Amino acid sequence: MDRFLTELGLFAPAVVFNLYFAIASIPLGFILAVCLALGKASDNVLINRLSRGYIYAFRGSPLFIQFFMIYSLALSFNVGVWKPMGISWWVLHPLFIGPLVLTLNTGAYTAEIFYGALRAVPRGEIEAARAYGMSRSQQFRQVIWPNLIRLAWPAYTNEVVFLFHATAIVYFALPVIGQQKDLMITAKELFERDYNAFLHFSVAALYFLAVSLVVFFLFGLVYRRLMRHMPAGPRMRYAPSWWR
Amino acid sequence: MSDNIAFWLSYLTNGKHLTWYASFQFTIFAAVFGGTLAVVFGLIGATFKNSRFLPLRVIGSIYSSIVRGVPDVLFFLFFPLAFEQGVEWLVASQVCSPEMLAAQSAAWPPCKEANWLLGTPEYLVLASVSLGLVYGAFATNVIHGALRSVPKGQLEAARAYGMSASQVLWRVHIRQMWVYALPGLSNVWMLIIKATSLLSLLQIADIVLWADRLGAPNFLPAVGLVHDDWRWRYYLVLFVFYILVTWLSEKGFDAIMKRAGRGILSEAR
Repeated sequence: MDRFLTELGLFAPAVVFNLYFAIASIPLGFILAVCLALGKASDNVLINRLSRGYIYAFRGSPLFIQFFMIYSLALSFNVGVWKPMGISWWVLHPLFIGPLVLTLNTGAYTAEIFYGALRAVPRGEIEAARAYGMSRSQQFRQVIWPNLIRLAWPAYTNEVVFLFHATAIVYFALPVIGQQKDLMITAKELFERDYNAFLHFSVAALYFLAVSLVVFFLFGLVYRRLMRHMPAGPRMRYAPSWWR
Repeated sequence: MSDNIAFWLSYLTNGKHLTWYASFQFTIFAAVFGGTLAVVFGLIGATFKNSRFLPLRVIGSIYSSIVRGVPDVLFFLFFPLAFEQGVEWLVASQVCSPEMLAAQSAAWPPCKEANWLLGTPEYLVLASVSLGLVYGAFATNVIHGALRSVPKGQLEAARAYGMSASQVLWRVHIRQMWVYALPGLSNVWMLIIKATSLLSLLQIADIVLWADRLGAPNFLPAVGLVHDDWRWRYYLVLFVFYILVTWLSEKGFDAIMKRAGRGILSEAR
């Protein structure tokens, strides 16, 4: 028991890194996703094709490869671009590249969710808004967006949990600098020290489970607030479906 | 011009590149074997979850929720390591004598004779099994849902024909379940394909590891072509490879779904 508690303490600084990666990339990914979803629904052929292609490419390839690709791309620009500008310590830092790639990745997955929700917005409501003489931006702000976010929220919750799980592979693809270790690297290093796979990996798993539950709880609260106009809103599904 | 083409052809077919091409077999093996196991574990898990015997139902639910609640990488690394240690512990309880235990200074294995050295084939099988276990949990959920969407009337009709419970299950229930499960299973398959990129974490010299080695900058003419950091080009190839595989699987699943949906009026499409 004592051992277990010290173990929990050892992992506490590590979970901060996972949380940092998730919290840094969620808002940016959200904004990117809204743009991409609107782009995928756009009538402009160029924008439509580009958003479609982007979403397909980033959903169809492993995050692990995306990490390697973007990091090595950034490395190859190092001598030519980053070094002369004097920002190479910052651009090549895992704490920058990590959220960058996670944002690009989650942007694509979330955009697909938002696009699905956008297509599910009731047609009649949009027609009613147009009949009222609302401009396009008014339609979006007052009719489409509120519908969209309510439809997409449960799936978006799952996506956020998956994003948090995806932070586990950041440091397998990027270099570990000093003591900046996330849960997986901590578990692996402790395992290599005393070969106790069951203890170290279970504690890391516990941390992941705990944060996932907190995310479900917080996003459930937001969902309740979003659905407060409904008499008894449809229950939020806690079990993630097979997204991703 | 033709010199150039000949040069690049010979560069792309040198020994290292051929090894890289050959290492695609590991990825494909892991995807196919892991995918098959995922369906098997999914069927077992869904049967457990559907069982009328409470402990089995609890086991099924715990399996599908716990494994999906932790990152796939964690379980992917944990299972082979834990399995290896389990085997070593079993062997150690048989072969280790007290003198051997006393002679061992490292933390693991208990004695040197119990050490199990895993090569690429062993790790590959273990990796596939752990892929199957992880994504079997996802498949459990999909199949569980699909079993429940088979129309009740079909099962009642089968029972009315005098079929036994297992006959109803295997000849009617599971046969008809596939139509409802296929969209979900296709998603699980995409997840498995993407997870095969993690094989290099288990010391398998797979496509990712070779891409890294081939693209690493080389300054020694004796070793091969002198070039600077080309890794991103090799990773770009893998990026495109995975997108192509996804695209092909989508087409394949569309065809299977069309075939499985024959003769069924309203399927989940």
